[in-house]
Amino acid sequence: MTPAEMLALTRAQEHRVEDFYQTPTTIIVVTWGVAWTIGFLALWSASSASPIAVPAGPAAAVFVVLMIAGIVISGVVGTRTGAGVKGPQQVQARIYGITWALGCLAVPMLAGALFRAGMSAEVAALYFPAGYCIVVGILYLFGAALFSDRSMIVVGGWILFIGIVAPYFGSPGNYLVMSLAGGGAFLVYGVVLLVARSRRDRRMVGAPSRG
Amino acid sequence: MAELDPVIHAQARLRIMSTLAALGADAQVSFPRLQQLLDMTAGNLSTHLRKLEDADYVIVTKTHNDRTPATYVELSAAGRRAFEDYMTALRALLGEGS
Repeated sequence: MTPAEMLALTRAQEHRVEDFYQTPTTIIVVTWGVAWTIGFLALWSASSASPIAVPAGPAAAVFVVLMIAGIVISGVVGTRTGAGVKGPQQVQARIYGITWALGCLAVPMLAGALFRAGMSAEVAALYFPAGYCIVVGILYLFGAALFSDRSMIVVGGWILFIGIVAPYFGSPGNYLVMSLAGGGAFLVYGVVLLVARSRRDRRMVGAPSRG
Repeated sequence: MAELDPVIHAQARLRIMSTLAALGADAQVSFPRLQQLLDMTAGNLSTHLRKLEDADYVIVTKTHNDRTPATYVELSAAGRRAFEDYMTALRALLGEGS
């Protein structure tokens, strides 16, 4: 083999390892993108502001099911990240993954206590979106620090900003902001990750990757 | 012209060394995970790992996860240095510099 082919072999393996750590992040990002976009859109559709009148019960059920699915998927994917590797990077990735599930669980858990203390449905409508945004925004910024990933600073900063701003739109406007600006941002980021990966793999075409 | 380390200069072993180096410092990888990252058969991987182990480039640890025996592989300090030297030599051959 020529030196150029040998160098291509090492790059291919570096990418393989990169994907091994990166794929779980992509799955989690896309999961929350879908859950937020559809979930908050469902809540908004049930409100008086919506042009189509969706019953509140089913809309809330869709939201709850999507949030639970998001917590379960990110928890399972997160705890399996880096499985089969022991070392500082794997420990970091696993702590990060578990923090996602715990952070997203903390929002409804705290809401339970607030409801007992007399939180109204109107206040809850402001609390949930903002709570999720603050948790997720900070998780992204935490990820940016952990993996030295600048793209995560942008996404994290944006989600945090949405969380702080959306409640000022009042309910149900905040649901729409959450669905489009929050969930939409996740989906855009998911697409950015996938495009970057396929572009990188396309550059590798022609180089031997298996031996 | 720099000599390329013959222990590393074989397709399978270069791929093993690249993977171990890319997993990061102090990372130990389980045998099945390494096999999956390389798409190599267990027999083929074992053969090449033995050659790398004989050169003291990798450390193979046999341990137990609960009661199941498990094998972990990591790059030794000498292995990491040898891999860096190999890559420097390879890039020099390609006129890329290091």
